[in-house]
Amino acid sequence: MNKLTGLFFGVFLLFGLSWLALAAYPYITFAGLQRSKDEATGALAPPGNPGTADQGARVYAANGCFYCHSQYVRDKNEGSDIDRKWGKRRTVARDYMFDRAVFLGTSRLGADLTNAGDRQTDPQWFYRLLYNPRATTPESVMPAYRWLFRTQEIQGQPSANAVKLEGTDAPPPGHEVVPTAEGKALVDYLLSLKKNYPLPEAPEPTE
Amino acid sequence: MEQSAISEPETRSESVKERSDPSIIDRSVRIPVMIFLASGVFWLVVASGFWLLASSQIHTPAAWWTFPGVAWLSFGRTYPAFLNCFVYGWATCAGIGVGIWLLARFSRVPLRDPLFPILAAATWNIGIAVGVLSVLTGATTGKQMLEFPSYAAFMLFLAFVIVGLWALTIFWARKPGPTYISQWYILGAFLWFSWMYATANILLNIASAPGPAQPAIVWWYIGSLIDLWLTPIALGTAYYLIPKLVGRPIYSYKLALFGFWSLALLGGWTGMAHLIGGPLPAWMITASIVARVLMILPVLAVAVNFHLTMRGKFEDLHWSPALRFAVIGAMAYTAYGFEGSLISTRTIAQITQFTFVTFGHAQLGLFGFYSMILFGAFYYIVPRLLDRPWLSPGFITAHFWLSVVGIGLLLFDLTMGGLIQGFGLQDPQVSMSAVSDLLGPFLLIQNFAVLLLVLANLAFAVAFALILLISAPVKQRSAVIEASADASKKIAPEVSVA
Repeated sequence: MNKLTGLFFGVFLLFGLSWLALAAYPYITFAGLQRSKDEATGALAPPGNPGTADQGARVYAANGCFYCHSQYVRDKNEGSDIDRKWGKRRTVARDYMFDRAVFLGTSRLGADLTNAGDRQTDPQWFYRLLYNPRATTPESVMPAYRWLFRTQEIQGQPSANAVKLEGTDAPPPGHEVVPTAEGKALVDYLLSLKKNYPLPEAPEPTE
Repeated sequence: MEQSAISEPETRSESVKERSDPSIIDRSVRIPVMIFLASGVFWLVVASGFWLLASSQIHTPAAWWTFPGVAWLSFGRTYPAFLNCFVYGWATCAGIGVGIWLLARFSRVPLRDPLFPILAAATWNIGIAVGVLSVLTGATTGKQMLEFPSYAAFMLFLAFVIVGLWALTIFWARKPGPTYISQWYILGAFLWFSWMYATANILLNIASAPGPAQPAIVWWYIGSLIDLWLTPIALGTAYYLIPKLVGRPIYSYKLALFGFWSLALLGGWTGMAHLIGGPLPAWMITASIVARVLMILPVLAVAVNFHLTMRGKFEDLHWSPALRFAVIGAMAYTAYGFEGSLISTRTIAQITQFTFVTFGHAQLGLFGFYSMILFGAFYYIVPRLLDRPWLSPGFITAHFWLSVVGIGLLLFDLTMGGLIQGFGLQDPQVSMSAVSDLLGPFLLIQNFAVLLLVLANLAFAVAFALILLISAPVKQRSAVIEASADASKKIAPEVSVA
C-alpha cells in the first residue's frame, strides 16, 4: 500500500511542477504586467487596442485564421521574420497585454500577421483579399470568405465601405458588395494589428 | 504455435495473470465499455469525413469544395472539427473504453453497477456533438485543442470525472496481488487528464487568463494532452498486448518503471517547444526544449523493452492482427520520440517550426502511434467482450495495410514538403507565394495519403459494425474457438473468440 501511496503522490507532484511553472505562474505574473513609459515623450507602450478589435478577434478565432497565420516575430538570430519585414523587432509578452485573445499560431502557410495593420492600412485591400484572395495575389492559397459580405441593391449613394471588385467578382449593375458586421469587425481587427512601438526589452536589432 | 495460442491465450503471460474467469469480468463491463468503443468508432468515421474534406481544401483554394460561401464547411472550421472529433471523439472514447477494460481485467473483479459509466458515455458524446457544432458554427474559443466553448467543455469534464471515479473504484476493489505497469499508466492518465482539462479550461475560459499567459497555458495543455493522456493510455495498452500475445513476460520491469517515471516527470513540460522564439520567458522555452530532448529516455526505455520482449517472436506478427497493429504502433512511438527530440532543438526548429514537418509529426503520434495501438486493442478486446468472432479478415487486412501505407506516405510527404517550405521561409528572398507554389505537389499527395487513411478507418468501421451487428454470439467460449478457428484458419486466434 505504501508503494501505491507513493505512486499517487508522485503522479500528482511531478505533473504539479509543470502546472505551477507553465500554467499557474504565467497566469499570475502576466496579470501584473505594466506598460512601458518613454522618458522623453511620455508615450505609453503598448498603446492599447481600439474597442472594436475584440469583436473582430472572435471572427478571427471562429474562422480558424490561426491555423495558417502566426502572430509573433522571432528575434533575428532565430529566423527570417525580421528580414521578411514582418516586424522591426521581436515580440515579447508585454506586446499582448491588452489582447483579450492571443493567437500565436504554429503554422505559416500564410504570412505572419503581427503587424498586418502596419503593412496595410487600407481596409479595401483586406476586403478584396477576403472576398477573393486570388484577385489581389494570383498565387494565394487562402480560401475565400464570401459569407463575410453581402450583395445589396444600391440605395441612393453607394455605401462608403462597398468593396471595389473587378471582373467576374463585380456585382450586377445597380448592386454593391458590402462587408457584414462580422466582416467589418474582422478587418478592423486586422487593421489594429500593429506592434510597431518601441519596448525596452525588445530593441530593434542593429545590422 | 497456432494451436497453443488458441487454446490458452488468457494464461500464457507470466507478467499478466488473471486468475478469475476473465469472461465473467468481460461480461460485467461489456455494455459500458462497448458504448465507449462504439462511440470511438463513430467519431472516427465523422473525423475521417472532415479530414478528407479539409485535406482536399488546402491544395486547391479556389475549388467549389472549399465552399467559399458556406462558413461552416470552410477549411478554418473543417480542420479544427477534424482535430477535435479525432482527439476527443475517437482517441479519447477509445482510450477510456480500452483503459477501463484493462483496469477491470487487472483487478479481477466484476463490475457491479454500470449505470454511471453509461451516463458518462452519453454526456461525453453529447458534449462532443455540441462542441463540434460550436466549432462549425464559429462559436469557438480560438484556443487550439481547447476550441470547445465552456458549456461543451463542462459536459466533457463532468463525464470524465465520472469515468475517473469509475476507474479508481475498479482499481480500489481489485483482488490483492502486485500491480502491473499498465495499471499505473492508465490510472496516471485518468488523473492527469482530469487535471489538465479542468485547469486549462478554467484558467482560459472562466478566469479569463491575461493575453500573454494564454499561449503558455494552451501549449502546456497540448503537450500534456499528448504526453500524459494519449501516450500513457497507448503505452499501458501496449504493455498489456505485446507480452500477452507473444506469451512472455516483459523483458525488464525496472526499465518499464523507469519509462513510466521519466514520462511522468517530463510529460507536462513538452508543449512550449512549439513556440521557440515566441513571446514567453526564455527559461520556459528552454525548459521545454530540454524536456523534449530528454523525452528520448522514456522512448528508448519503451523501445528497448518491447524489442527485447519481441526478440525471436517477430513471426508472430503473421498470425495476430492485434500484435501487428500494436507492434507497428510501438515502433511509430520510437520514431515519433526521436523526431520530436530532433525538431525541438533550436537549430532544426529554425527550419521546421511553422511548417508541415510539425503536422507530419503530430499525425505520426496521433495515428501511427496512438491509433495503431488502440486498433490492436480493439482486435483483441471486442471479440472477448461480445463472445463473437470477427467476421471478415479481408477488412482487417485492408485496415492494416491502408493504415501503414497511408501514414508512411503522409509522414514522408509532409516531412519533405515541410522541409522545402522551411528552407523557403528561412530565405527572405523567397516570397510567401513562391513557398506555397513549392508546396503545391506535396499538399496534393497528402490528400491522397489522407484518403488512404480514411479508407483504412472505414474498413475498420465496417469490420466493427459486422462483429457488432451480424456476427452470431456464441454461448461457450470453447465452442467459439473451434468454430471460428475452423472458419478462419488463416487469421489470428484473437480474431476468433479465445
